[in-house]
Amino acid sequence: MTTTNAHRLGLPNLGLGLGLRSKHYDYLLKHDPIVDWFEIISENYMNNFGFARHVLEHIANVKPVVMHGVSMSIGSTDPLNMEYLKQLKELAAFVKPAWISDHLCWTGVAHMNTHDLLPLPLTLESLKHVAERVNRVQDFLERPLILENPSTYMEFEDSTLHEWEFLSELVNQTGCGLLLDVNNVFVSGHNHGFDPEFYIRNIPHKAVVQIHIAGPTDCGPLLIDTHDQPVPTEVWKLYRLAQELTGGVSTLLEWDANIPDYPEMVLEVEKAKKVMLGELPDVAIFQSQHPEVISNPIDHQMQAAHE
Amino acid sequence: MNKLETTQRWLTSIIIRPGRLHDKISAADKTYQLDTEKMIRTSATLSPENRISVYARGYVLRLMECMRADYPVLLHLLGEELFNSFVQAYLVNVPSHSPSLYDLGENFPAFLKASQPQQNEDAEMFDLPVELAQVERTRVEVERSKGLETEQTANSDDSLFHFLGTSNYNVSPCLRLLQLQYELLDFIKAVERGKEAETPERKINYLAISRKNYAVNLQQLEAWQFYYLKALAITGDHNAAVKIAATESGIPEESIMADLLLWIPVAMEYGYVFLDDRF
Repeated sequence: MTTTNAHRLGLPNLGLGLGLRSKHYDYLLKHDPIVDWFEIISENYMNNFGFARHVLEHIANVKPVVMHGVSMSIGSTDPLNMEYLKQLKELAAFVKPAWISDHLCWTGVAHMNTHDLLPLPLTLESLKHVAERVNRVQDFLERPLILENPSTYMEFEDSTLHEWEFLSELVNQTGCGLLLDVNNVFVSGHNHGFDPEFYIRNIPHKAVVQIHIAGPTDCGPLLIDTHDQPVPTEVWKLYRLAQELTGGVSTLLEWDANIPDYPEMVLEVEKAKKVMLGELPDVAIFQSQHPEVISNPIDHQMQAAHE
Repeated sequence: MNKLETTQRWLTSIIIRPGRLHDKISAADKTYQLDTEKMIRTSATLSPENRISVYARGYVLRLMECMRADYPVLLHLLGEELFNSFVQAYLVNVPSHSPSLYDLGENFPAFLKASQPQQNEDAEMFDLPVELAQVERTRVEVERSKGLETEQTANSDDSLFHFLGTSNYNVSPCLRLLQLQYELLDFIKAVERGKEAETPERKINYLAISRKNYAVNLQQLEAWQFYYLKALAITGDHNAAVKIAATESGIPEESIMADLLLWIPVAMEYGYVFLDDRF
């Protein structure tokens, strides 16, 4: 299914993929993975030489792998963590990923890590700061960095740019790629009152390398990015629009809490094929009034240590 | 400090500090001379405090979940309430500085140790959760450390004893040895199997945590086995290790040599020692 295209920074359309999760390790060692490619959480495999590394090696021998990070903290005002980048590069030498991605966010400051994807004030000051760091990271990794739009639950009064404007200008200034998470666009659109379709129509489509799809949770006034539900109809609509505008890019289903068995995951991501044929699954957004719904779940970040 | 840095320090302090959100916001506003109402956009249904609460609540819940996954047997021993209170205190006193959640619980055993009452006649009973935390943390380290799976190693056979005392007879890089004051092994196994677990008795014992074919093993050792492996890891010298084991355990060298003949194949089977086949 791999094709090449002048778009996507020259990177391939890998087809339909899944996140490599510890729950599925044993299954994947014994069965055909079926999907076209896998995405790993980079931090799970950095300095990890146990069973997780063994499974990763097996998968990387049979399918393309993409490295997706959660701790680069590209927007932080702390200095870039060069030790982290060195370990990331070492892992890349082992995995030989199709590309390396992280998020447009910061995770902490003063050397503390909240292990969350925190939003930036979308200002020219932030843009200059992030662009400088993206350029340094790209020089160090010797490859383009692919950045994902996060789900956000608050906006800063100081922001003078919309997120799609910020990302467009970041692409212009750095040549980085975009990981368009259509679920995150949907979540943030609901939480901040913008039109997610307008957002998707106004990003630089040629820079989009990959799409994430996932299922959020409706917690009343806010949608939370829980990655623990089937993809709802509204997100599938945005997915189809994004695929039409980009000309087709690699698609990855994120499911990081209450993770189903592997065959069920495959069925969920393969719905993307029917969506592109115009058959939209009829799936409502999951609703919960539970007070302890966690955004950015961490099952996937802990997996490698708890086989 | 520029405005972006001030903003990030302000929000980080709200998320990481303990206490009620409203109080944390007030304290951060005062420290950084900012006004939350002017920092975060409001809406008809959500105040800035409502929006910040998603991040503040998520921080605690997310890291608590991680610690529960790292220390499941300790959680069983202490119960939800006590475990949660220790973890919350830990997260406040030792916030994460690492990009990896694997490192989050690294200092928890030391934190528990430092939390022990010093002037209490029952102080010894507080050693139990500390030791259990040490064992659980060590097991996580063994799961991730470099092992023998990708190395060329030889099987134990009749030629084994030609290797003793040579540089290619080694202790596995993922073997960890612990001297414990409580007999924890049966307790850990019972909890993990969901069975009734009796509180461990206080008795000096020795534990090996090792990995073979990516499976982690916890095994009780005899004192001489513990001292032999510990000395072999440090000296790399079989004969020196036998001497040290004899001295520490009070067992004659000849007796240890005889027991080693039977035990070394077992030690290889569990991945404690190996013969490097590259030589």
